[in-house]
Amino acid sequence: MNLYYGANLLIYAGVDIIACLALNLQFGVSGIVNFSFIVFQAVGAYTAAVLSMPNDKAFGYDFQLYVGGYQLPFPIPWIGGAVAGGLLAVPVGLVVLRKLRADYQAIALLVTSVIANTVITNARPFLNGAAGLALVPPPLADQIDPNTAPYQYFYVGLTILAVVLVLFVVNRVVNSPYGRSLRAMREREIAAMAIGKNPVRLKMTAFIVGGVIAGFSGALLVGFIQFWAPSVWLYPETIILFAAIIVGGRGNNVGAILGALLVPVGFEEVTRLLNNAPLGLPAGVVPALEWVAIGLLIMGFLWFRPDGVRPEPRRVFEGGPDIE
Amino acid sequence: MSEGSTTARDHQPLLVAKDVHRHFEGMRAVDGVSIEVPRGQITGLIGPNGAGKSTFMAVLAGTLPATSGTIVFDGRDITRLPPFMRARTGLVRPFQLPSEFARLTVLENLLVAAQDNRGDSLFGALMGKRYWIEDERRLVKQARVLLKRFGMTAKESDYAGTMSGGQKRLVEIMRALMLKPRLLLLDEPMSGVHPKIVEEIQYYLQDLRSEGITILMVEHELHMVERLCDSVVVMAQGKVIGSGTMASLRKQPEIVDAYLVG
Amino acid sequence: MNLLVEAFGFGLVSMSVIAIAAVGFTMQFGITNNINLAYGEVMISSAYVAYYVNRAGISIWIGMVAGALFGAVFSFLLNRIVYSPFIRKGTSQIGMVIVSLAVSLMIANLLLPIVGYDYVSYQNSTGELIHIGSIILTTNQIGIMAVSVALMVLIHGLLKYTRLGKAMRATAANPTLARNCGIPTQRVIDAVWLITGALCGLAGVVAAMNSDSFAIVNGATFLITVLAAAVLGGAGQPYGAMIGAVLIGLITELSAAIWSPEYKEVVAFGVLVLVMVLRPQGLLARRGAMAAAG
Repeated sequence: MNLYYGANLLIYAGVDIIACLALNLQFGVSGIVNFSFIVFQAVGAYTAAVLSMPNDKAFGYDFQLYVGGYQLPFPIPWIGGAVAGGLLAVPVGLVVLRKLRADYQAIALLVTSVIANTVITNARPFLNGAAGLALVPPPLADQIDPNTAPYQYFYVGLTILAVVLVLFVVNRVVNSPYGRSLRAMREREIAAMAIGKNPVRLKMTAFIVGGVIAGFSGALLVGFIQFWAPSVWLYPETIILFAAIIVGGRGNNVGAILGALLVPVGFEEVTRLLNNAPLGLPAGVVPALEWVAIGLLIMGFLWFRPDGVRPEPRRVFEGGPDIE
Repeated sequence: MSEGSTTARDHQPLLVAKDVHRHFEGMRAVDGVSIEVPRGQITGLIGPNGAGKSTFMAVLAGTLPATSGTIVFDGRDITRLPPFMRARTGLVRPFQLPSEFARLTVLENLLVAAQDNRGDSLFGALMGKRYWIEDERRLVKQARVLLKRFGMTAKESDYAGTMSGGQKRLVEIMRALMLKPRLLLLDEPMSGVHPKIVEEIQYYLQDLRSEGITILMVEHELHMVERLCDSVVVMAQGKVIGSGTMASLRKQPEIVDAYLVG
Repeated sequence: MNLLVEAFGFGLVSMSVIAIAAVGFTMQFGITNNINLAYGEVMISSAYVAYYVNRAGISIWIGMVAGALFGAVFSFLLNRIVYSPFIRKGTSQIGMVIVSLAVSLMIANLLLPIVGYDYVSYQNSTGELIHIGSIILTTNQIGIMAVSVALMVLIHGLLKYTRLGKAMRATAANPTLARNCGIPTQRVIDAVWLITGALCGLAGVVAAMNSDSFAIVNGATFLITVLAAAVLGGAGQPYGAMIGAVLIGLITELSAAIWSPEYKEVVAFGVLVLVMVLRPQGLLARRGAMAAAG
């Protein structure tokens, strides 16, 4: 197996796993249907990019126009990306998550995703519009030459560390009394209030923590692909992640990881195979059919197995009565 | 604090509602209700359908805002307090049907109600298991005592959503008890429940009273009210038309005519 | 000043287009209490059907009928084959939103290989320009407005005076009660999907007629404007949707004149957010989804 191909696969898998863990926290555990998830990954990527890139004049006049350009060293851009994801979650959450019914929240977030993409595409001087940001410097590029094999190992290692870190945090949150409160709020918000839970605070927390992790995943991805444009974060990208959560299993981290491997990564690989196979299909048919398949997958699982491949496990406490 | 003032406080009503109004779309569902709920007793709230009893309970719980009036709970004005804060101060309204957490186990349903678990915050969760495991173990024990008392030990690891109607009621009572409530607002706790469980619930309510928990209960079955309630408030058309013991109320012809049949 | 008057003229056309779409959308919501996110894609599909009819040399006004028919049948089938089974199965409201989103994606992507990514437009003479004061409109645009007004009158008549309309209102307010009163709820629901589907298809063609060109990607952006109008008017309220359409049409065209035409949807989005924050029930909120005004 080609090293570059393998590294690419592993890094994308890592990013998808991290994204799914965040979305699971928001959707699977806390019941927030965040249809704008991809925007948070995007804000992390853009932030990491403009923090690590040089001033836009450096590229020659008018090649790309963007704000920032502070050329900060790793890991500051990544921290910036994570923070940006969390910061964005604050106003969005405060507007959407407070008094709206669940389906209105979902469509408000969906529409936000569409509009955000439109605005960034049209406002060129901000983040270079439709063309996006290119030549984003990869982390530690001056220490290790990014075009060599050792760099690939380095980035894969970095990704693995990132996944472990996120898993550690998410695991602690989900499998704790706090996670239990989040799940109770998901089950029946009014009853949760009757026992003293503050639903707005719980939702905002899940939304912000999820936003931080989403932003972090964006920084991780942009450091590798060195490019970021509106075409990368169109609103349907969120739906792939939702499909992953629905397929893999809601409300638990193992299900989220499983979903990430089955759906975004799995589909990526199948597309690659189909594109390379000499089937003589016109261009654009395979990605379109891919989306159809995602839709069918979602509907199929919601119909036959809404809990996913690995459902939320039942919590059993030690010292209880024997279970047969 | 001298002996005298402690006793005096004990005689103060736990909840005082003064001239509470709840108007909505031209309807005066609650039209100037003032009541005092005595500490450590079971007080009934009775009246014909449409009298505004459930609306009044909702205003007390905070799920509906009062149009005007004040509500004072143990000396503290809670009129503007949101419902989840009222629950935290000890004013609990269970039985807002349906209200079990279906995909949590029975034991988890109880645990989630506890107020004093260090792991029940983002910070606590991030600190890790060792930080909150002590609290968790203590609460599990506490919950298991309740489960045993209400005869549901065998069901502790079953999903609450799979319980029968009567069992769900018991889960709700137990959950309310984990909150260490001081005042329980019960809106027809016996309705729609199997007669056998009705008996049990009555015993539990009396047990709760003997533990010092105050109860305000809306109830239609008058013989139940007779058996359980120390005193009763009668509402009709959004107003209070009488209060006192059932015996004293029976002596008032207007009330008998308005509501008490038999 | 002239600019504003001109924008007002465009606003009149805009609101006519949006009204047709928003009334259909809100009626679907009223009867099912679910948000049909595939509405925009059905609109676009119908616009394409009209396009192919038009390409065969037939007038776009006939194509409009074809689009309406297509929309009706498509929406009817969509409900029968996809939505109804999921609802009967007890899928949650949020589950239905996800299902409709999945459907919208599927429709868009099934169409793409067939129609391609390029922008297309109808072949029709825009007709002469009519001057009303400072307002300059083409006969086409006046035709669109006429169609819209006629449809609003028809809908009003349907809801207020026909048995079907009364049955629709009853079913929307309380389906179980309606069924117990002998209203054939299944047939009423089918009728609603056929009628609103026709509106959806018509709206798609008319919206495409009003733009220089269109492509599949417009499905999502159409939907935002429709959502804004429907939510502003009060979800499930057809008369509310009409009012919402008037307001959104005017606001977006005025903003296009004053600010920039690229941001019309952003303005609609802004209105949608404002409504959701300040008055989520919309302007004509009332218990019972399809109550007629007055």
